[in-house]
Amino acid sequence: MSDSNIALMAHLMRRAGFGANRDELERFVEQGYEATVEELLEASNANSMPDDLIRRYHVEQSELRDLAGSAAYWMYKMISTESPLEEKMALFWHGLFATGYAKLNQARSQLNQVEMFRRSGLGAFDEMLLEISKDPAMLVWLDNQDNHGDAINENYGRELLELFSMGIGNYTEDDIKECARAFTGWTLGNAEYMSVRAYKDSIWPYGRIAWHFDYREEDHDKGEKTFLGETGNFNGEDIIGIIAKQDATAEFICTRLFQFFAADEVDEEGARCIAAMKETYFESGYEIKAVLRTLFNSDYFKSNDARFARVKGPVEMVVGAIRMAGSHQTPELGIERVSNNMLYMGQGLLQPPTVEGWHEGLEWIDSGSLVERVNFAGKELSDVSSPGVRAIIDRLAATGDGVLSPAEFADGCVDLLGPIAVGEGTREVLVDYAARQGDLDLRERQPGDESEQRVGNMLRLIAATREFQLA
Amino acid sequence: MTTETQSPSITLDYVKTIGIVNNGLNGRGFANPYDLAVSRDGRIFVLNRCDPARASAIRVGVLSLDEDYLYEFGDGAGNGDTQFRWPVCLAFDSQDNLYITDEVHHRVTVFDAEGNFLRKWGSQGSGDGEFNGPAGIAVGPDDSVYVVEQHNARVQKFTSEGVFLGKWGSHGDGAGQFNLPWGAAADSSGNVYVADWRNDRIQKFSADGQFLACFGSSGSGEGQFQRPTSVAVDAEGFIYVADWGNERVQVLDADGGFRVLLRGEATESKWAMEYFAANPEEKAERDRSDLKPKLPPHLNTPYHISSQTEPYFWGPVAVSLDREGRLYVVETNRHRVQVYQKR
Repeated sequence: MSDSNIALMAHLMRRAGFGANRDELERFVEQGYEATVEELLEASNANSMPDDLIRRYHVEQSELRDLAGSAAYWMYKMISTESPLEEKMALFWHGLFATGYAKLNQARSQLNQVEMFRRSGLGAFDEMLLEISKDPAMLVWLDNQDNHGDAINENYGRELLELFSMGIGNYTEDDIKECARAFTGWTLGNAEYMSVRAYKDSIWPYGRIAWHFDYREEDHDKGEKTFLGETGNFNGEDIIGIIAKQDATAEFICTRLFQFFAADEVDEEGARCIAAMKETYFESGYEIKAVLRTLFNSDYFKSNDARFARVKGPVEMVVGAIRMAGSHQTPELGIERVSNNMLYMGQGLLQPPTVEGWHEGLEWIDSGSLVERVNFAGKELSDVSSPGVRAIIDRLAATGDGVLSPAEFADGCVDLLGPIAVGEGTREVLVDYAARQGDLDLRERQPGDESEQRVGNMLRLIAATREFQLA
Repeated sequence: MTTETQSPSITLDYVKTIGIVNNGLNGRGFANPYDLAVSRDGRIFVLNRCDPARASAIRVGVLSLDEDYLYEFGDGAGNGDTQFRWPVCLAFDSQDNLYITDEVHHRVTVFDAEGNFLRKWGSQGSGDGEFNGPAGIAVGPDDSVYVVEQHNARVQKFTSEGVFLGKWGSHGDGAGQFNLPWGAAADSSGNVYVADWRNDRIQKFSADGQFLACFGSSGSGEGQFQRPTSVAVDAEGFIYVADWGNERVQVLDADGGFRVLLRGEATESKWAMEYFAANPEEKAERDRSDLKPKLPPHLNTPYHISSQTEPYFWGPVAVSLDREGRLYVVETNRHRVQVYQKR
């Protein structure tokens, strides 16, 4: 099994998932790259921590009233899923169709939206736009319950075009108004009562009442509309059909997918990759799965240009470190304190800062968030009682005769945590650190002893490197 | 000539709803109630498990059937004798002493009915008198105390002072085996019933642990269960089951035959009416709403239906009986109790 195959697979899993440990990587390499891409894309009925177990121990994750417990619930799913791309896609859509708790006070319905992302996240883009247009959390987030046949509210129509599908410059103000008219009557059940409760943040008398879509035909503007040059008695479905076939829409969604999965910045080669994704978009009937297949199998994605070309987002950082450590795999008291770390790093699940979602790339890193990232990942990866860390120690101990020189020790850890491409300067620091205590002798090791803790300390140090911050 | 014995009939009439969500302060209302027991004089003791944000208010609230909030005890999250982490179940003995399990502390704590700490026993382990995740607790007619342990997959029997008397059970799905068992009850003859949670069944044992019967299977049909959490038995032998995963309550006869299904029909409690009296605009919109809406197909599961249909049970985690033939159904996610009267 060549190192380059392992490195390529590790790259795929960092992007299409939340990273993978060495056992997983070896299994994937054995079945081949394209077969692994298919496994990621075709996964269904993914196993993750079962809801009955979560609900038994966590009353807050059964009720899903508050933000902290609801974010922890989603984190449990991310750290335990056997279908990481499904969760990664849900995170992608959550960033694109950003819907925040602060206005809604309705975490249960936000998680229903996330469940919709899992269900439809790899399907056709027009169907996704239809789902999000019927999603009650989105409707309230953008005030569409106030979009009436006799008095339109443009919020949803505007953001649908600007932030969710085409991007600014590809439509007129008139198009926005006509779009809004087409979505009149698209609301949620008991909209007036639910609006009062959301506005007042009322949990009375018996906790929250979750939301569902409702279409009020009598409140829908059935008149003729002209949208992007086409005229008819359009309803929302018709508008979405027109949006989906626009070149600007293909450019928009393919670029967003490229930036989320391939590279923060689009260079010339990247632009060619996006052009191929657009071609697939139209050929496949707007299917996201097909577009991602084109991306993951592209020469660009597999090239060195795309490796470590993204800054890990906080969710990727937290979930990736936990999955590597193999920790938190059963319901545990205090789990919300773990998931809160994402928020401290700048990405609280279910609470994107605005309708634009999060600003990604280098903006994830500032002096405060960097400390949080390093501390969290270091703590997870230095716990030598965690099964994933134990597996790393076992592999190191099986190297040669179980006695590792400082260079072998440092290189081995860098390899097993990725492999991560570390610069020469970083490597020197790691080797020097290892050399302080001489060779690492794991032959007589006992669980948690000094030799094992040396490995934990090395992993903690690697988590603090610049390179570990990249995906 | 043989005569078939006709088991007695049972009807349950909805009486009222008691409770209101309590947002983290001590005092009136419930915060994720997890179990309930009624003292001999009819006082209602509600165990509030509380979510992490409100863990400082973990306590037992005491009230009357008329929703007069009487007093409370327990000092929130912590390791002290009167504190809890994840309390699970409670039960009274014949002297109105109250036994409470905690699945994080791995112990049983005993209070008198006024809330004074009396004693505790247990620590984490698998030996006699040790616990791993104690959940259900039941007191027999002779004041023997039965504690169900989810992770040791067994029942231990103690004196009311906590002296170990016996044990039975192991992990599995055979007769007398358990998979993450939860609630327990004892009948007037001393038989013990266990909600064998992840095996989706109720098991019945003699007072010394001899397997007697098993009721139910996995599913959503009549007499089937989805993760039953709690069981109660009345003087006529009717078996009440909190069919938690199906968001409903079922009543079986003494032979395990299906008799009654409840889905919940909550109305406004006294405390809810007090809230709406102070918030008339919210009440007006509520009155114009359909609280039993028709839902899209992707929300057509018991959990989702209950999350959107306020009168229905949502998280019906415990069933409990009083001496007057009343059934109390405790709903964790709705912070309330629906009361039914047997006739």
